[in-house]
Amino acid sequence: MPLALPDLQAAFAAHVAGGDRADLAAVIVGDSIPAEARLRVYRHHVSHSLSAALAATFSTVHALVGEGFFRGLAQGFVAEALPMQPVLAEYGAGFPAFVAAYEPARALPYLADIARLDWALNVAFHSPEGRRLAMADLAVIEPDRLPSLSIALPLGAALIGSHYPINRIWSASQPGASAETVDLEGGRADLLVLRRADDAAFIVLDGGEAAFVAALAGGESLEGAAEHAASAEPSFDLSTAFARLLSLEAFAALRQF
Amino acid sequence: MTKTRIAIASALAAALVLPVAAQAQGNTEKCFGISKAGKNDCQTASSSCAGTSKKDAQTDAWLSVPKGACEKIVGGSLAAKK
Repeated sequence: MPLALPDLQAAFAAHVAGGDRADLAAVIVGDSIPAEARLRVYRHHVSHSLSAALAATFSTVHALVGEGFFRGLAQGFVAEALPMQPVLAEYGAGFPAFVAAYEPARALPYLADIARLDWALNVAFHSPEGRRLAMADLAVIEPDRLPSLSIALPLGAALIGSHYPINRIWSASQPGASAETVDLEGGRADLLVLRRADDAAFIVLDGGEAAFVAALAGGESLEGAAEHAASAEPSFDLSTAFARLLSLEAFAALRQF
Repeated sequence: MTKTRIAIASALAAALVLPVAAQAQGNTEKCFGISKAGKNDCQTASSSCAGTSKKDAQTDAWLSVPKGACEKIVGGSLAAKK
């Protein structure tokens, strides 16, 4: 009994996502290779290609857990969330949440945060660099107008906070890293991920800076952000923090002033 | 203008004239780990054999344990104890 084209396509899509479909196998010509085996080639190819794309995007997660474990993790995600768009570099937005809920990874409580960092680096890497805010742009503004300015983060930037020292975990997982161990109880990390000229990178922020950047990203003025930072971290030094962030080109250029 | 606002205005203005040495504390971490290779080449040539196996891929994660750089991450109540 032949399937109508939409039904055939739906059955094939369901098969590729992992569900065995007897009605699909029944309409495939087996010949020397059984129909089921012919169909599995497609399922395997989709799973393999998407897992490889995830391993490239989530390279730190991959390095932390190793190839065998990552394959299981990636295939679990692929079966649940096939791409919704054709660009593989944009595939995996839901992967950090999948990692967080993935039972076999529970012994690595920092893994989901590392996945968020990998994803943020991937997004930043594929974002346009854009013009950044420079000290000279602000020097021409009346000082008493500075507090009411709103400044935005660059396109593709993200603030990633974790209870774990994910910057050190990230460093220890890079190719060629030393064998030095990282203490998981080494304290929280707040990282600002940014697009760079020919790469993506992160800046390690202290607690006050993180509150300052988060408030600015949320649309607060410099004055509001400074107050947030001071209440989050009483020793927050606005001049030093603002100068550091400006020199690291952490803000997008003003649209108008 | 309130006192706090004046303090914030002068602190922001002071940031613009800090010497360069004071500004550049803490460099960015360059992330070489990012794969710049295109991922959309659909696994041609070398890996097509792996991609076209007639067997289903094995999902054995429930049996496997992480075997990678995570050995270097120590401590923590939830982390696997050695």
